[in-house]
Amino acid sequence: MSSESDDENVIRYGTPLEPFEEDEIPTKRKFQQPSDQYAVDANGRRRFHGAFTGGFSAGFGNTVGTQEGWTPATFKSSRSEKAQLSSQKPEDYMDEEDRSEFGIAPMQVQTQGEFSGQKRAKSNRFHDGPIPGEPVLEQILRPVHESAAVRMLRAMGWRDGQGTGERLTKTERKKAKQQHKVYGCYMPPEVRQEKQGSADESSDSEFEYETLFAPDDYEPYILLRKNDRFGLGYSGLSRHSVLGNLVGEYGSGDRRSRLVMKEKGKKVSIRGQAFGVGAFEADDEDIYATEDMSHYDFALAGPEKQINKQTVQREKNVLEGFVKSNKPLPAVPSYPAPTLPRDYRPQPAAQRRTRFEPTDKPQRDQGLGRHELTAEARGALLGEAQVKIELPKPQAEVTTNTPGKSETTMEKLFGKNINFVTEKTEDFISIKSSGADLKTFKPFASDPSKQSRYERFLENKLVERDSDMDNVTAWERDREMLEFEQAAKLYRPLSGVMGDRFTHASQPDDALNPMCAVAKSSINYGLASEEMVEAAKKGAFGVMTRRTVDWRPESLVCKRFNVPEIGGGRQQQKKEDKPKVSYSIFSYMETSVHNKESFTKEQSKFSGSKSINTEKKATEIPKTQESTTKVQEQPNKRMTVAELFLKESEKSKDTGQEVTETIEKFDKIDLYKAIFLSDSEPEDETTSTNFYEAPKNVERNDSPPRGIFANINFDEINSWKRSQKDKDNSKTEASINTKAEDEKSGIDKNDVVELNMYGPKIPDNLQLNTSTNTHFKPKFRSKDERDESSSSDSWVDAKEVKSKKHKKKSKKHKMKHKKSKNKKKDK
Amino acid sequence: MTETLQLELLSTIHCKQQVVRAVRFNIDGSYCLTCGADKKIKLWNPHNDLHLKTYGGHANEVLDVAGSSDNSQIVSCSSDKSVILWDVTTGQPLRRYRAHASSVTCIKFNEESTMAISGSIDNTVAFWDVLSRRQEPVQTLRDAKDTITSIQVTDHEVLTTSVDCHTRLYDLRIGKMISDYIGSIITHGSLTHDGQCLVLSCSDGTIKLIDKDSGELLNTFMGHETNDYLLENCINDKDNQIISGSATGEIFYWDLISSNITNKLVHKFNKPVVSISHHPSDSILLSASEDEIKLWGVNNKE
Repeated sequence: MSSESDDENVIRYGTPLEPFEEDEIPTKRKFQQPSDQYAVDANGRRRFHGAFTGGFSAGFGNTVGTQEGWTPATFKSSRSEKAQLSSQKPEDYMDEEDRSEFGIAPMQVQTQGEFSGQKRAKSNRFHDGPIPGEPVLEQILRPVHESAAVRMLRAMGWRDGQGTGERLTKTERKKAKQQHKVYGCYMPPEVRQEKQGSADESSDSEFEYETLFAPDDYEPYILLRKNDRFGLGYSGLSRHSVLGNLVGEYGSGDRRSRLVMKEKGKKVSIRGQAFGVGAFEADDEDIYATEDMSHYDFALAGPEKQINKQTVQREKNVLEGFVKSNKPLPAVPSYPAPTLPRDYRPQPAAQRRTRFEPTDKPQRDQGLGRHELTAEARGALLGEAQVKIELPKPQAEVTTNTPGKSETTMEKLFGKNINFVTEKTEDFISIKSSGADLKTFKPFASDPSKQSRYERFLENKLVERDSDMDNVTAWERDREMLEFEQAAKLYRPLSGVMGDRFTHASQPDDALNPMCAVAKSSINYGLASEEMVEAAKKGAFGVMTRRTVDWRPESLVCKRFNVPEIGGGRQQQKKEDKPKVSYSIFSYMETSVHNKESFTKEQSKFSGSKSINTEKKATEIPKTQESTTKVQEQPNKRMTVAELFLKESEKSKDTGQEVTETIEKFDKIDLYKAIFLSDSEPEDETTSTNFYEAPKNVERNDSPPRGIFANINFDEINSWKRSQKDKDNSKTEASINTKAEDEKSGIDKNDVVELNMYGPKIPDNLQLNTSTNTHFKPKFRSKDERDESSSSDSWVDAKEVKSKKHKKKSKKHKMKHKKSKNKKKDK
Repeated sequence: MTETLQLELLSTIHCKQQVVRAVRFNIDGSYCLTCGADKKIKLWNPHNDLHLKTYGGHANEVLDVAGSSDNSQIVSCSSDKSVILWDVTTGQPLRRYRAHASSVTCIKFNEESTMAISGSIDNTVAFWDVLSRRQEPVQTLRDAKDTITSIQVTDHEVLTTSVDCHTRLYDLRIGKMISDYIGSIITHGSLTHDGQCLVLSCSDGTIKLIDKDSGELLNTFMGHETNDYLLENCINDKDNQIISGSATGEIFYWDLISSNITNKLVHKFNKPVVSISHHPSDSILLSASEDEIKLWGVNNKE
C-alpha cells in the first residue's frame, strides 16, 4: 500500500516553483541588458553605427577603409604612368564580413539554392509536353545534397530503395505486401502477386529462419490514363508467349494469357494454347486443375507456429521490461439504451394540466411512514424473526455422527442418503426462520421443481431425494447443492447481508417507548470465551483473559514511529493482505458476500458442525487457525488416497510393496504435473485428485491435451510404439506418454516408475532407498481411524462410497462427482 | 501524599463552548486545548486565564484534541467523522481526513508527531500520516468489535480501549497485538509513565490497574461514580496517584499502591467531570465539566 502511493508519502522541503498557469501567455522575450542588444562582429566590436544604428559596419576597425581611416581617392596622372580609368566595384565598399559566408556577397564557392536539395520546387514545371511527367534529365541529375530527412534516415540505417519501418521477416513482409494500403479499388490478389515475382515464393524456404528484411519501399500509385475502350480492368490478349519469351514490346512474363499473337509482317498469327496442353507445355497442372480436399488446410497448427515465430521476433524491438501486447485494445463498449418500463407512457410536452387537478397517484403520506409501523411489522417486512430475550448460550455442539459410527457405515452400505445436520445455536437470524423472504427471492423461478427443491433446501439444509431427482446423477445433485448454497448466500435478506456489520441487540428495543433505558450490553461479541468471562468475574486477570495475536504494522507506520520494520519489510506480501479501504455502503455489502473470509465463514456455517466450534472459539486468530486446519486436512486427503490404494492392492492380493510403489508413482506424477502443467488454473487441484480416485488407470486424463501436448498426436505415437514394442522405447517419449496414455496400465509397474523419471537413471541401490523413504510419506492409519475420518466428513455421500467399488464402470461420471465433493471438502 | 492535599483551585475558565468534551495540556503543560460541542477548539494559557486562539472548521462536536510535540500543530477529531490537522499559528486546517465511517472519538499524536492515531465509533483505529499529503489512513486496525473509547501512544506501542470490554496493546516492535478481556466496558485507558501498567476506567465503577506484561490485575480503585459517562483517568507526574473524574462532580485521587482515596476535589457538584488532564511535570491538574475548566495545583504564592 505504501509503495502504491509513494508520491503521497513524499515530504517536500523548500519552496516549490511557481505553478505554471495555462492562461498565462509565455513570454519569450527575457529581460535584456542594453549591452546585449548591440550586434557585435567577430572581434567583439560594435557593428552598427549611426543615428538609427542601422548602417553597415563602418569599415576597418570601425573606421573606414584603412587603419588610418577613410582617405579620399586621389587622382594622379603623369607621362610615364597614365592615370587609368579606375572603375569602382561594390567590393571596394565592403568589409571582410560582407564577403564571408553569411555576408551579403559571399566569396566562397557554394551550391546554389536551387540545387541544394533543401526545398525542391515540385511540379508546376512539369509541362504537358510530348513526354509527360518529370523531365528525364531532372531525374538523372539529382542534387548532391539530400534533404535533412533523408540524411537522418541514412544515419538510422536506411538505404536507398528500401522502405522505412522496422525490419520484418519474410512472411511478415509478404503479408504487409498483401495488405498494402491502396487508394481506390483494391487490386485482386492474383494481380498483386504477379508483381511480386516468382523468386520471392521460391526463396521462402531459404529464409525460414531469423533473417530480417527491410520493408518494401513505398510505391506511389501511378495513375495511368485509360486510352482504350475496353472495360475496366480488361487487359485483352497480351502479346506474350506461353513459354515466357517476350514477344511484344511490353514488360516481362505475364503468365495469365497463354495465347500468343505474333506479327509477321502484316499478318497476325495467333497460336498457342487456348485449351488443352500444348506440345511444349511441360506443366499442365493448372489446365485441368480440379479442386480436391488436399488443397485445404485442416490443421490449425501450421499457421500458429508462424505466429509464434513472429511474436518472438517482434519482441526484439520492444523496450526492455515491456512486452508487446498481443491483444488488441479493448473495444469501446456500446451500451444499449435503457429499456423503458412496460407501463411507461410518454407524456407530450405540450399537454398541460393544472396543478390542482387530482392526480392518479396515491396521496403521499405526510411524514415518514416507517414511524407508523411497529417493530414487529417492520420485522415482518424485512423478514426478520423476533429474537428471543434470553442470551444465546454457547452450547456444546452435538455431533450426531460420532457415536453411531457402525450405523453410518451400515447406511452407507445400503446406499441411503443420509446427511447429518447438527442442531446449532442460532447466533443470527437464519434464513429458515424468515419465511417471508422466500417469496421475494426466487432464484430458480424458471424451474419450478428446482425452486421448490431450493426452498426445501433452505428449510432443511439438505437436498432431499425427490421423485424427479431419482433420475439425475449424484454428481448433478451435488452440483445443485452447491448452486443452492451460493444462491442462499446471495439471496439472503438484508439482515443476512449486513449481518457481519451489525450485532443483534440482546434485548428487543421497544419502539413504542423510546425513553426506556437500554440495558448495558456485556455481550462478548464472540471475542471472549466463557472461561474468560468467568475469569474476569473472579478478577483473575492474566493468562486467562489475555490473548496475543500477530499483528503487522505498516512499513510507513514503523518509519514514522522510528521502529525497525519487522521482518525487514516484505513489501509485496503486505500489499496482498491489505485490502483497499473503501467506506461506501456498497463495499460493505460486497464484502459480506464476496469476501473470501466471510465466504469461508459462510461455508463453514453451511457445511455443518465440523468447524463451527473452532470458529467460535478463536475468531481473533483466524489466520493461524486456517493454516492449522489446512495442515490437518492434508493428511486427511492423503489418507483417502492411501485407502483407495490399499483397497486396490487388496483386490490384486498384493502386499504393501506394491502400494508404496503406486503411491510413489503418483508423487512423481504430481511433480511432473507441477512442472508441465503449471498453467492449469484452479482446476489443478481437482485434476490431481482425479488421479487419486482412479488408481487403475492413473494416467488417464479426460481433459484435452494442453500445453506442450496440444500438438502431439498421442494415438499416433502409441500406435507406432506398439508396433515396435519389443524395442526399447526411449525414455523421453515414454515420459510424454505417461500423461495421456491409458494403455500403459498393462506394463509392468516397476517400469512405469522408471519411466516417470527424468535425467540419468538412478542407481538401483539408491532407488531402493528413495522408495523406502517415500514409504512413510502417506500416513497410513489403522482402519478404525480411517473410517472415522471419512464418516466425520459431513459431505460424504453414502452412495458415493459404494460407487467407489464400481469405479471402472462409471469412471467419468464419478470423477466429476468427486470434483464437486472435493470442492466442498476444501472449503 | 501531603503534597496532593495542598492542591487547590487556581483558576476557573468559562470556555463558552456549550459543553467541553475534552481538555488537554500541551506537551510541556504551559498551554491547554479544549474542544466542545460548539464545533470549535480553543487554545488557552490556563495559568493566566488567557484565551489565545479558536479553531473552527469542524461540522459537528469536537470530541478530542491533541497538540503536537513541537506545538506547531493540533489534531482534532469530531462527530462529523473527520479528523482535522490544524496549524496552530494561522488557525487554518492543514488536512482533513475523512476515512472514518462514524464519529471519531479519540485522537493522539505519536511521540514525534509524525502520525495521528484516531479511534472511532466505527470500531476502527486509523493511522494518519500527517507529514505527507496522503488522504487515506496508512493503517487501519479492525480488531475491536465496538467503539474505541481511548487511545494512548508511546514510542512503540498503541493502547486502545473499547466498549467491547477489551483493551488492546499493539506493539510495533515485536509485531504483536495483546488483547486483554476486562469484564466490563472500558471508558478510558492510560499508561503509567514508566510504561509498566495500564490504568483502565471501567463502566462498572472501578478503575483497574493492570500489569502490562502479564495482564494481571494489580489493584482496583473504587469510590467514584460512573453512571454511563465516559470518564477519563490519568496518573500524576510522579506515578504514585491515580486520578479520575466522577459523575458526582468530584475528582478522586487514589494512592497507586494502597488504593486509598487520598484526595477529593470538587469541581461542581452533580456535574460530571468527564475530562481531566494532568500536567506532564508538575502537580497541576485540569478538569473539565460542562462549560468550564478548572486548574488545580499547588498555590505558590503562599
